[in-house]
Amino acid sequence: MPAVRVLVVHAHPDPGSFNGALVHAAVDALTGAGHDVDALDLYAEDFDPVMSRAEREAYETDSPICSPEVARHVELVRHADALVFVYPTWWGGLPAILKGWLDRVLVPGVAFDFDDTHRVTPAMQHVQRVVGVTTYGSAPWYVRVVGDAGRRTITRIVWLNCRRRSRPWWLAMYRLDTASRTDCEAFLARVTDRLARL
Amino acid sequence: MRVLVVYAHPVPGSFNAAVLGRVRAGLGRAGHEVDVVDLHAVDFDPVLPVDEWQVEYDPADADPILSDHIARLLRADALVFVHPTWWGGQPAVVKGWIDRVFANGAAYDRLAHKNRVRGRLGNIRRLAVVATHGSSKLVNLVQGEPGKVTVLRQLRLLCHRRCRRQWLAFYNGDRAGDEERRAFLIRVEDAFARW
Repeated sequence: MPAVRVLVVHAHPDPGSFNGALVHAAVDALTGAGHDVDALDLYAEDFDPVMSRAEREAYETDSPICSPEVARHVELVRHADALVFVYPTWWGGLPAILKGWLDRVLVPGVAFDFDDTHRVTPAMQHVQRVVGVTTYGSAPWYVRVVGDAGRRTITRIVWLNCRRRSRPWWLAMYRLDTASRTDCEAFLARVTDRLARL
Repeated sequence: MRVLVVYAHPVPGSFNAAVLGRVRAGLGRAGHEVDVVDLHAVDFDPVLPVDEWQVEYDPADADPILSDHIARLLRADALVFVHPTWWGGQPAVVKGWIDRVFANGAAYDRLAHKNRVRGRLGNIRRLAVVATHGSSKLVNLVQGEPGKVTVLRQLRLLCHRRCRRQWLAFYNGDRAGDEERRAFLIRVEDAFARW
């Protein structure tokens, strides 16, 4: 991809965690490849993931955005040519702070529109690539058995609202609890290498 | 049975509130004891803080709201979720309730050397989700229903070996009329009255 604008959304409570290292690697790789990177660290921003009553009541109106914080995030989404999510998988899916970012920021008029029959049509045609980078405590077979909810959320539901000409990328590290330093470094290298080729 | 019902919708008087009413009514008809956690009403903070993420964290030290919710989960014989479906799954406040209440040492034990968890929720013998969806059943099938698998597969593994599961979904809510809504409410009440 020629130089584009990439929005990296990150969610982990500990900046010193392996996920913290992953987001650094991702941002460095993208910047190194000449892309313009916006990085959102939801924990550092103290993002509130709970949709308020006012937001729910405004959701299907022409002005569903009710806070300056959400408006700022919406602007970043609107300018993004690629979306990269970096997070730990908890109970098969997204940490609540990231799930709530989808709930509150990806609202009608931003991520999708309702057509005349009130069906959802994609509105993130400007997003040419969706990337998920995540860590699992479990082994791949276990993740498959329990359904891999987070992967479905990112690579199907979010992706379905983007320009679907290119497949989503899913970069996952399994068995984090017993991973060695070498395993971690190998995954960091894989993330760096892949994102440098966005 | 003592049934813990976890409910979330930001708007009082919403269709989901009516659904909750029918869940209560149905369980009441069947003679069960109902304990409702209304996440918006108690202003539940779904963001797992850094100390709860650390390995040394002991849920016995949880803040009062959280330890109360953990105690109610451990006392329950059944767990029911009632909420709308957003981006295919639970609203963040429900996902964060799971992230924080299903703590290591409370809902499960971490077997780190095996990359596995061992459930501690043998007390939970029934697990149900009542979820409303704006889009159709077909769209939800294509999207893969992450909210459904989170509870009925992921959390199910922590519960009693023979824990029964139930999925009551209202699809196509964006285009549904009063008739469909009424029918769903009756279906919900009847389903829980048979518990």
